Formats: sequence, structure tokens, C-alpha cells
Amino acid sequence: MIRFSNASVTYPGGVQAMRDLDLTIEPGEFVVIVGLSGAGKSTLIRAVNGLVPLTSGQLQVNERDVTTLNRSGMRDLRSEVGMIFQGFNLVDRTTVLKNVLMGRLHEAPTWRTLLGLYSKADVHLAAQALDRVEIIDKAYVRASNLSGGQRQRVGIARALAQEPSIILADEPVASLDPPTSHVVMRYLQQIGRELGITVIVNLHFLDLATAYADRIIGLRDGALVFDGPGSECDADVFESIYGRSLTADDTMAKQAAL
Amino acid sequence: MTSGPVGVASPESRVDGAARLPKKPGPTPFTIVTTLGAVVMTVVTARAVGFSFEGLIENLTRPNSVVEGLLNPDFSQIWSERSRAAFIETLQLAVLGTVAGASVALPLALWSTRVGNPNTFLRSIVRIFNNIVRAIPDLLWALIFVSAVGIGALSGLLALFFFSLAVTTKLTSDVLDGIDPGPVEAANASGAGLTQMLRTAVVPQILPSYSSFVLYNFELNLRSSAVIGLVGAGGIGERIEFFRSRGEWEEMWGLVVMFFLVVMIIEAFSVTLRRRLV
Ligand SMILES: Nc1ncnc2c1ncn2[C@@H]1O[C@H](COP(=O)(O)OP(=O)(O)O)[C@@H](O)[C@H]1O
Ligand SMILES: [Mg+2]
Repeated sequence: MIRFSNASVTYPGGVQAMRDLDLTIEPGEFVVIVGLSGAGKSTLIRAVNGLVPLTSGQLQVNERDVTTLNRSGMRDLRSEVGMIFQGFNLVDRTTVLKNVLMGRLHEAPTWRTLLGLYSKADVHLAAQALDRVEIIDKAYVRASNLSGGQRQRVGIARALAQEPSIILADEPVASLDPPTSHVVMRYLQQIGRELGITVIVNLHFLDLATAYADRIIGLRDGALVFDGPGSECDADVFESIYGRSLTADDTMAKQAAL
Repeated sequence: MTSGPVGVASPESRVDGAARLPKKPGPTPFTIVTTLGAVVMTVVTARAVGFSFEGLIENLTRPNSVVEGLLNPDFSQIWSERSRAAFIETLQLAVLGTVAGASVALPLALWSTRVGNPNTFLRSIVRIFNNIVRAIPDLLWALIFVSAVGIGALSGLLALFFFSLAVTTKLTSDVLDGIDPGPVEAANASGAGLTQMLRTAVVPQILPSYSSFVLYNFELNLRSSAVIGLVGAGGIGERIEFFRSRGEWEEMWGLVVMFFLVVMIIEAFSVTLRRRLV
């Protein structure tokens, strides 16, 4: 479970990217966060695994109080939370399998990692993760030789290899074309449903958001301005979240048609 | 689609008349001042050391046993047990010095960066250490260890170790600035430890450059190992110095020429290998 209580984030420059947020996300929910660029979506996601510290308020993730964790507590928390990135964040020069094995580092002793040794169990988990996103045949291919959609599937497999209870995805399809975006979103949805993992996704396009979200959270200027099921989220609601009328840029289908 | 190359469609008049470059900018004051400075420095220093072309030509053409030795190098030293041992010692020094220095250089380079060492205080300590090691040239290292440890190959090894440490650390630090931060973020977000992150997210990115630097360092060490031998740090340099001090110029030049050939051959290999790496 994830619970923000009266949580705020103010960056060193003075920008307040999270304002008195009260939000509870139950295990297994598939939540999509929407909002204009700069609304604080990334900040919210990155607060969950401690990449961005709160400036005030409380945040509980899996019974841990994120604001008071020491270094090893933080590493333990992060091992339970998988993360997927807009730019994939793969090591291009190494193989797909080695990239996915990065998800097992928390469980491996440092000396084994230094020698490049991975336990059989870790390799098995990595293979399972690759199999789930149907890219296991590329296990020994260099990551640089994959297409964007394949790279993001490797990114998902790396997160899955952690055996996480939560997966965070910060604009995971922003660098992909529409058909590939749907493939990636469907894998995320499947993972949530079949493995019971909580999935939190930042999305830019509201047609994608309504197509996949069980629950949509709208942010504006760091504050929560909408929280409801995807079915309740129509054009009027989006206009209120965005604070302006919708344009072709806001939906993937229309933007692709431009 | 349309036939003909793109871009030819513009009217003739534009091609003829309008494609005029703006006025070429003249040299900036900075260029003028630095060029003048370089010329003045060269003239002043040349006068200070008493350099003159006539003197140089006269010295080289005057009957001179050193130059005569160069014209008749004696290669028989290749059969001498001692000279061969000195050659092998030189190669060993170069290999061992490179391997030892470069191994320590990798962590030192990593720990000198923000990514590899988040602690500001420790990071500045590593940087200061690296800067000091870099400021000392190979010959000075050799002199230091010959005085401290004594004449012989161990001093040479220590000198080359520190010299390699300086070279490889510097070159590696420079490529570390340009790595892709994405994998680092991913490793940190997965709960990896600092060392694990460096090993899996950073080292694979710099490995080709690092290997190339190690080979380049080996080439430098090969040459250095001859020079440091002159001050008694082992290897072929010690043997060259031995013949020089006895005025046996044919033997000395024979060794120098043979060493030169060995260096050329090894360098050719190393350069080919490096090309394939990057
Ligand atoms: N590291 C940072 N330092 C200072 N300001 C930041 C930083 N990261 C984000 N911000 C600012 O915080 C606000 C919210 O950013 P972000 O959470 O990235 O929004 P979103 O992901 O919705 O585009 C923006 O105004 C952004 O400029
Ligand atoms: Mg963002």
C-alpha cells in the first residue's frame, strides 16, 4: 500500500511540485497519473521510491515510512519497487539478459556482481521476466540492436526481475509510436492483473489513460485535482485538469493523424 | 514524385547572385595575442639556452666518436646474455607496471566522479591524490624510488606503476564525464549498492575506451622503461647507460637501434588492437 499524507515537495530552486497531497493507492491497483507537463507527475512517481525526498508530510510504502529510511532501508524499499523509464535506461553495450539481471542486484553479494557472476536462481528469474514480455529469444542480443518497443519490453523485464510489489512507469510510451505504445501498455496491464502488482503510470495522452486505467489521478500545479475511475474521466474532466480546452496534441490517436 | 535532385528548383538568379558569404571575420584579439606570445617565447627561450644553427651543424659534422658509433652500430649485443636479460626485464616492467597501474586507475577514476563517489569530502581527497600523482613525471618517479628503494627493477616497477596510474586515471576520468546517466538511474532505482551500480551501469559503458587507454599506456611504458633505466631503475636503459658511460658507442647504438625496432613492432600491434576497440 502507498499512502501520501499531507505530503509536499519543494525543489531547491523554489518550485513547489507537490502540494499537500493526500492519496492512498491499494495493492494491485492500476493507476494512471495525468496532468500537463510540469504538473508534478514525475515528482509523485519518484517520491514513491525515494528518488525525490518529501520536504514535508508523510509517505508510507509497504509499511515503511519513506521519509525516515536510512541508506540500507532505502535500498530495501527500492528493491520492492520496479521502475520503468521514458528513455528505457538500458546499458546499450551489454546484452538484454545482463540488463535484466540488473533487477537482481539487490539480492546479489557485491563480490559476485564485481566478478560478473549471477546465481542460477537470478538467471532463471531474469529469463522468466523476459518470457513474460515475449522477448526471451533476444536474451543474448546487445540492447543497442533492439527497436524502441523491444527496448521498453526489456525495461519492463528488468523491473519484473526484481519481483516487485509495485511498478512505477514514468511516461513509458512517450518515445514510442502508437501501435508500440499499445503493446507496452497491454503488457503493463497484464502484469498488474496476473501478478497482482500495483502499477502507477504517468501518461501524456488522455485516450491512452482512459483505455487502460482503473483509476485516474489528475494533477495540476502539484495539487491533486481529480481522483476517480477511468470511466468517469471524460473531456470535461480533462479540461478541468489541464485548465484549458483539449487539443489534438492531447490524444495519441489525433496526434498521430497530424 | 518529382524527378531531378532536390534543391535545384531555386531560380537561377539566386544561385548566381545571392549565394554570397558575409564578410570573413578577421583574427580575434585573442588569436593575435597568443600567436605573438608564442613567437616571442620561442625567440626568448632559444636565446636563453644559446641555441644557434651554426653551432648545431658544426657540432654534428665535427669528427665525433659518438656520431661515428651511430653510423656503425654493433648488433652483436643480441647474443649477450646480459643484454637479452635486460630486454626481457624491460618488457616485464612495461607489462607489470601497466597492469598494476591500470587496475588501480579504474577505481580511482570512478571515485573521482560525482556518480562514483557521492561524498564531496572523499571525492576531493581522491582528486587531490590523482592531481599530485599526475604532476610527477616518469623520470622523477624513477629517481624517487631509486633513492628510496635502491637501484634495480623494483624501483622501475614502482615508477611505472605510478606513471600508469596517472595516465590511465586521467584519460578514464575524462570519458566518465560523458557517460549515459540512464543506466545509473535504473541501477539506483532497483536498490543496487554503489559498487554494484558502478560495475553494471558504468563500467560496461567505458570498457572499450578504458581498454584502449591501457594499451596506449603500455606503449608509453615501453618507452619510459628505457628512459628510467638510465637512472638505474632496471631494464634495457641500465644496459644502454652502461655502454655510454664506458664510451662504447657502437654497442650503445646497437642496443638503441634494436630497442627502437622492438618498440616499433609492439606499437604497431597495439595500435591495430586499439583501432578495433573503439
Ligand atoms: N530536480 C529538480 N529541480 C528543480 N525543479 C524541478 C526538478 N525536477 C522538477 N522540477 C520542477 O518541478 C515541477 C514539476 O516537475 P515534474 O514532476 O517533472 O512534472 P511532470 O513530470 O508532470 O512534467 C516543474 O516545474 C519542474 O520544472
Ligand atoms: Mg515528467
